[in-house]
Amino acid sequence: MSPIIRRTGEEFTIPSKYLLLILSLVSCALMIITFKTSLFTGPLNSFSGIFIVPFQNGITTVGTYLKDQSDKLAEITRLQDENARLKDEVSKLTMENSDLKKQQYDLTEFRELNDLKDQYSDYRNSMVAANVIGKEDGNWYHSFIIDKGSDDGIEVDMNVLANGGLVGRVTNVGPKWARVLSIISDNSSLAAEDRSSKSRNILFVHGDLKTYKDGVITFSKLNDIADEVAVGDEIVTSNISDKYLSGILVGHITEIKKDADNLTKVGKISPVADFDHLNLVLVIKEKKEDHLDDYKNQKNSN
Amino acid sequence: MTIKIKKIVINFILIILSFVLQTTVFRTLDFGGIAPNLMLILVASNGFICGDKAGILSGFFAGLLSDILFGTYLGFYALIYMYIGFLVGKLHEIFFSQNITIPIVVISIMDFLYGFICYVFMFLLRGRFDIGFYMMNIIIPGTVYTALIAIFYYPIILKINNRIFDEEQRSAKKFV
Repeated sequence: MSPIIRRTGEEFTIPSKYLLLILSLVSCALMIITFKTSLFTGPLNSFSGIFIVPFQNGITTVGTYLKDQSDKLAEITRLQDENARLKDEVSKLTMENSDLKKQQYDLTEFRELNDLKDQYSDYRNSMVAANVIGKEDGNWYHSFIIDKGSDDGIEVDMNVLANGGLVGRVTNVGPKWARVLSIISDNSSLAAEDRSSKSRNILFVHGDLKTYKDGVITFSKLNDIADEVAVGDEIVTSNISDKYLSGILVGHITEIKKDADNLTKVGKISPVADFDHLNLVLVIKEKKEDHLDDYKNQKNSN
Repeated sequence: MTIKIKKIVINFILIILSFVLQTTVFRTLDFGGIAPNLMLILVASNGFICGDKAGILSGFFAGLLSDILFGTYLGFYALIYMYIGFLVGKLHEIFFSQNITIPIVVISIMDFLYGFICYVFMFLLRGRFDIGFYMMNIIIPGTVYTALIAIFYYPIILKINNRIFDEEQRSAKKFV
């Protein structure tokens, strides 16, 4: 007798193997659909906005509060020691300060001379702060959830900063939440350039799960024939990146060596943003795409 | 019928609770960036206590939730969790769910399997071949931590399921 046919008086049930088959097909169909289109993102993102994000929000708030309190107690003794030491230092620093003021004056002059544009001040008006409320559930990638979403004007591909350095970009948006793919995640990579070197060499920065444990991420494909790039150089996002705005600080080079092909160089970068203690991030409400569109329009009008 | 709905609602709450705890509390209680997989414990326990169908369904929805918030393609985690629920569910008929040792061993094996599948699909296929490193630093620590949490989490799930089962029995008696 077939197990699917319903017998009278018995509750209708599907045998588990058929259920497994059906749901497997559904999953595969979903994968293909999301690979090709973005049909489901709207309703599903709203669903998680209702059921998940409020809880994450609450628990993270409580957790952060408790952590702050315990940190405070631990800090007090350390601070007393530090206070004595710092008082000493203050007297020394006041002397140094007068020296530095002169140098500062030189620096501002130098900046004006070179017409060095401070990129961050361009974006300052369009920045919005957000709290990190949840982190990736697996141990493989490093995405996280923030508590601002499309209701606050966040869109996919906006850049996210913390501690004055690049953290990542928004990859998914719900009404009151957004997912950020961090640059240390193994599946993330971006085009950057060396600000310190004269010819602004382009290099590609990859997140790497292996080196992340040492607090660094890797770079590769650095074309540096003139040997200009050195340890300690500042790496900023490049103009050629189509997702990241240009001129955002990524980190400093900590290690550099020749690649196996002897043509390009590879190495490691220590990111500026502190990914272990990420609580508050800034989202730049400007997209590279818009800049590119502006550029195209200009080109067309010319 | 009401008990069935109650069962669904309780499992729904459990899945959401596990997911929220996994992404918030256990992310701050991690060891070297490794957090336990509460959802896998829940799915495997459900399969072990209630059979393969419960495993499949809870696996599918737990995975789907993970997909919505963190997945690249919808359905990837759903598929993995669902098959884990199904495999463990097959053991429901063989083993007693009251004994705690066997479920913990099964959950550990499943977490190892889960980690291995994740490695193959998310790292190996992108040319990260150093399996020894990922094994020693991600998969095995994850398995150990998950097993440790499972020792506390599995009895809770068992107790909840036993209570539902008792209620089911009682209401069945009433109608006879």
